[in-house]
Amino acid sequence: MKMKQKVDPESLLPLRPSVFHILLALADGDLHGYGIMQEVAEHTAGQIKLGPGTLYGSIKRLLGDGLIVEADERPDPSLDDERRRYYRLTDFGQKVLKAEAGRISRMVSVAQRKRLIPKTRS
Amino acid sequence: MLRAERFFRLILLAYPREFRREFGPEMAQLFRDCYRAKEKNSGLIGIGRLWLNIFIDLVRAAPKQHLERLGKENSIMNNLRRDVVALLGSLGIIVIAFLLLSYGRKHGVPSILVFGFALDALVTAGIVGNLIVFLLVKTTRLNPLRTALWTFLLVNFVLVLVSALVGSRVDPQFRLGSLLIGYVVSFLFWFGVHWLWSKSRGQLAVSG
Repeated sequence: MKMKQKVDPESLLPLRPSVFHILLALADGDLHGYGIMQEVAEHTAGQIKLGPGTLYGSIKRLLGDGLIVEADERPDPSLDDERRRYYRLTDFGQKVLKAEAGRISRMVSVAQRKRLIPKTRS
Repeated sequence: MLRAERFFRLILLAYPREFRREFGPEMAQLFRDCYRAKEKNSGLIGIGRLWLNIFIDLVRAAPKQHLERLGKENSIMNNLRRDVVALLGSLGIIVIAFLLLSYGRKHGVPSILVFGFALDALVTAGIVGNLIVFLLVKTTRLNPLRTALWTFLLVNFVLVLVSALVGSRVDPQFRLGSLLIGYVVSFLFWFGVHWLWSKSRGQLAVSG
């Protein structure tokens, strides 16, 4: 895992949309598989539907690359099934997520300059 | 629900065993959650859509997992093949040196015997040094080239010491200078072989 910390976050870009949305879902806190799935469906207004194979295939890859880890504590043990595994964004995962968000933001700026999409008011 | 879950567990058999072992129970849990939610909110149509999504996901994700597993197995096989080649290569060098030496001594070939002291060192240090390097590299995380450097330095030094102590008593024609040159040649040769080996590994890693 320490080896992965030395990897430049930019070198992992661009992320696949499903991976980006999984990381985005974990940015607010630890979630289990079903929680991630619901969050992604909500963020994308149902455009990205993660099936079990795609979700856990991506989770396996993200664990291997050190972008997420299995969380030790559960957000609310009294409300939850003990067998569920929760996942947490690592510092490295956070860096990669920020880098990808920046990349997308730059692309949006270009599209706005070319008047493909309206400018957002800040 | 029970029947549906049983069927879902059957579908999971399409994924590699390792993946199933790691994530199978969680995937089943995810299926239970989705099934309950669909049953509650959208009835039969929702459940139909859930199955459709699961089959589409299966077609997309299962082959990907099998390909990843195959890729991993290929890299393990490649490493194993390289180790066998390295081992056989070292063994080949040692056997050739030994045969040359035996032939030279048996038939009194002066052109071979001139290099006798170096061939002697090459065989002895080659057997002991390569065995130690192989074991150390396979059982620890030490840098292979550095391990080879220190092992061959130490092995050659010890062998020179032992030969110097024993040789002068056993062999009346014993010459310390030849012995030293022989072991220096042996060290340079074996370390050179390991250096070339590590260089080729590095090139493969970059291109692979």
